[in-house]
Amino acid sequence: MLSTYFKIAWRNITRNKSFAAINIFGLATGIAACLVLFIVIKYEFSYNKFIPGYESIYHITTSTTTADGEEHNPGVPAPFIEAARLDMPQMTFGSLSASFGSQVTVIGKEANAAGNKKFIEETGIYFADPPFFEIFKYKWLAGSGAVLKDPDVTVITQVMAEKYFGNWKAAVGQFIKIDNAITLKVAGILENIPANSDYPLAVVTSFVTYKSNPSLYGYSAEWGSISSNNQVFVQLKDNDTAKAGAQLKSIISKNYKGIEARQRKFGLQPLAEVHYDSRLASWGSHSISKATLWTLLLIGIFIVIMACINFINLSTAQAINRSKEIGIRKVLGGRRSSLFWQMMSETALIVTLSLVIAISMAAACLPFISHIASIEEKLNLFTPEVLLFMLALAIVITILSGIYPSLILSGFKPIVALKNKVNSTSVGGISLRRALVVLQFSISQVLIIGTIVAVSQMRYVSKAELGFNKEAVLVLSTFADSTVIARQPALKQDLLSVNGIQSVNFNSDVPSSNNNWGTNFAFDHKPDEKYTLFLKFADPDYFKTFGIEFTAGNAYSLSDTINEVVVNETLIQKLGIKNPADVLGKEIKMGGGSWRKITGVIKDFKTNSLREATKPLLLACRSKSYNNAAIKIKSSNLAATKDAIQKKWDSHLPAYANSSFYMDESINEFYEQENQLSLLYSIFAGIAIFISCLGLYGLISFMAAQRIKEVGVRKVLGASVANILYLFSKEFTILIAVAFVIAAPLAWYLMNDWLSNFSYRINLGVGVFLLAAIVSLIIAWVTVGYKSMKAALSNPVVSLRSE
Amino acid sequence: MISLQHIFKWVNTGSNRTFLLRDITLDIKQGEFISIMGPSGSGKSTLLNVIGMLDGFDEGIYHFLGEEVHKLKEKQRADLYKKHIGFVFQAYHLIDELTVYENIETPLLYQDIKSSERKAMVADTLDKFNIVGKKDLFPAQLSGGQQQLVGIARALITKPKLILADEPTGNLNSQQGEEVMQVFKKLNEEEGVTIIQVTHSEKNAAYASRTIELLDGRIEKQS
Repeated sequence: MLSTYFKIAWRNITRNKSFAAINIFGLATGIAACLVLFIVIKYEFSYNKFIPGYESIYHITTSTTTADGEEHNPGVPAPFIEAARLDMPQMTFGSLSASFGSQVTVIGKEANAAGNKKFIEETGIYFADPPFFEIFKYKWLAGSGAVLKDPDVTVITQVMAEKYFGNWKAAVGQFIKIDNAITLKVAGILENIPANSDYPLAVVTSFVTYKSNPSLYGYSAEWGSISSNNQVFVQLKDNDTAKAGAQLKSIISKNYKGIEARQRKFGLQPLAEVHYDSRLASWGSHSISKATLWTLLLIGIFIVIMACINFINLSTAQAINRSKEIGIRKVLGGRRSSLFWQMMSETALIVTLSLVIAISMAAACLPFISHIASIEEKLNLFTPEVLLFMLALAIVITILSGIYPSLILSGFKPIVALKNKVNSTSVGGISLRRALVVLQFSISQVLIIGTIVAVSQMRYVSKAELGFNKEAVLVLSTFADSTVIARQPALKQDLLSVNGIQSVNFNSDVPSSNNNWGTNFAFDHKPDEKYTLFLKFADPDYFKTFGIEFTAGNAYSLSDTINEVVVNETLIQKLGIKNPADVLGKEIKMGGGSWRKITGVIKDFKTNSLREATKPLLLACRSKSYNNAAIKIKSSNLAATKDAIQKKWDSHLPAYANSSFYMDESINEFYEQENQLSLLYSIFAGIAIFISCLGLYGLISFMAAQRIKEVGVRKVLGASVANILYLFSKEFTILIAVAFVIAAPLAWYLMNDWLSNFSYRINLGVGVFLLAAIVSLIIAWVTVGYKSMKAALSNPVVSLRSE
Repeated sequence: MISLQHIFKWVNTGSNRTFLLRDITLDIKQGEFISIMGPSGSGKSTLLNVIGMLDGFDEGIYHFLGEEVHKLKEKQRADLYKKHIGFVFQAYHLIDELTVYENIETPLLYQDIKSSERKAMVADTLDKFNIVGKKDLFPAQLSGGQQQLVGIARALITKPKLILADEPTGNLNSQQGEEVMQVFKKLNEEEGVTIIQVTHSEKNAAYASRTIELLDGRIEKQS
């Protein structure tokens, strides 16, 4: 029986090729989209879960509640870990610290040799103690975490060992040097850390080395100093978070006094949650909020629902053509149940064909999608979980899209079906299809509006006036020790002699960055202000290099340490001063330092990404902070000039590697995630629109078939082609209008929420919504145009004779 | 075999009641060959559908092989006709997507007959109707007469006691119609199959042993 079902299903498919193609292609697109989303979402949810016992591992966080709100820091004060080990002896605490942009020089077998290969490790070198590796049970190719009890030893991952020494087996016992200061012996090799880790360890040095070099890595034994680079993990016994929470509270009360004891709180963040909390920046390649993942999942579900709706629309539209067969089969003894199962097995066959096509579509798209979702690992389509998901998806889609048409078709009364008197009311009426199409269009309009908003916001952000010149500024970044600082003036002189270089400047931080170096401060011999003053240190050429303008006064004069200072307009406004010239000559004091004279007020530039508001800022000289060289180049011949710059660098600082970037590129990187997300949304919005167009095409085919006699009669009575086109387009124009009424408020709510991530954002005006409505109308008109034109042009004699 | 007593069937249009069948009383014995005649709209097809239990009626008593059809539920009626009645249509009503062989086989599939047995039965039937050579063709590849032969073969394969034919020759030319009538006659005489046909043609009606003439839903004349 089943083989007969499949046989007739197959013949039906081949007979109605265009219907079948629309059905299969629509479903395949939906399934493929859903598969890709499933794999991406599954991957994002797999973060850190490869670590054995991750369920009981927690990351200790610090939060500080002030009048400005709660601030979260993924780090803890350095003395915390000793205190915690003392108070909570039954639990294992491990320490992991990081230094980003450190230099690794490969030394080789002789500890005293000069290295030849040098690398800037952007993703950081880490410092860990042995207990860290008791908590994070990574696999070892050689050695173990215990070797990190000693100073000046390091363990590296296989990939780093091969990068430094060519072969990981040869690496053990050889030496590397970090930041031209500390020579380390390689004492262990870690298996490569999976890409779905928020702790992409590469070079891990002993924590005691970190502790004994405070001038290099900023170790501070103060309880008041909290750095995100100093993190602590704990493996809880029996996963008792309540008990651990209470003990963390008592550590606060023992070690902080007064207001600080009330403000500070240590928190336990489950390791499995680290990837999703954007308040606590993770060390992985990216973090992603669960809301985003759920949104993507929802889009996947929507797309599948839309594909199912298409299927239902098209099959019920086709039902009229099938009514004769159903009638005959019933007269020949077919029961409703056997007809029902016949229709279901047809659906199953179509879904299976679609699945096969979907798998190849997904396989083709997966590398592209994982690239824009910044997933480094190669994603696999044929894991047991994905196969199981495919099976489940196929079953769900078969049921969702098959049941209704099968029930309708198998329920035909034989006499009615045989006489071809089946009409729209007996197949569920056009109203059901209308409702389904409205649902489809609501979904795709939400996605269209979302895409327009996201794209315009990202365009706004990339075109926004930042208040400084970001074009053709090359930044060379290095780990500046005293040698580098001493040689900087000579390097600068030499660089300025290079043809094509307009200006050179050394600084701690470029104008727009993710850095937030802040301090408490006082102005004009008054008590401390209640907000933070942010700092960037640079020599006076900074203003020229970045084209920053002054509203009052001038730049400070060159010096090695902080002397005179410049502030920005935001600070002046926060201080309540109207005329910038009024602060010139007044004094300001940072932290516990001395009073410094203000020589100028600069026009505001964007101190961070446009997500954040411009901060009150102070600029001054302080040569020991100058990690960056910013070089303004004449825009022609950038590459050659860059080569010349690197040559000068190597002649002055042969032992020092640098990492270089163009200012405009680094600004674009701020919005990498938003850009990727808006690209993802556009892709899936496109798919949703495509599927809903297929559905509309199905509906219009249905309507055209239904109303062929009506069209014939109207034409005989004198209706023009335009009248008939109007007859068809009126219908779905109303449907789209209804869909818009549903979609617009929903999209407004969602996108308003998304835009609130940005301090600088576009206005969500009527224009966006009008544009979306017009776009969907045009798409719909084009879709139905062909079918309704065909209906309108048909010869009434033919359609009326069919009675 | 069939006993209809005072059968009424009507439809309500607005406040008017239009009678499709009025007070039909009719007895048909096993082995009879009956023609139903009458002008368009006289209720011929309606009567045939009522007898075939494809359609219900509003009043009256209907016994079929001793079963009280008027008391049966729709599902039971369906079971009854599926077991005992074969249908032949004016428009043949073959399934376009199935071959001749598969069309004939379809009723057997619904009776859960084993594959080997099905093969034998279909082969027999093909043989009997002389259409073995056409078994792999699709309906569209056959002439009208051939299609109707397949339709009859299909109606007969389950060995029904009753054949209901609604203008079986209506779409055929006279020669093809003649052939179909010969088949019916042979079935009736040699195998004792009861046949009720609706026809417009006096000539075809003459093949029957009895003719019932309908007018406006009532029996006008029996002969």
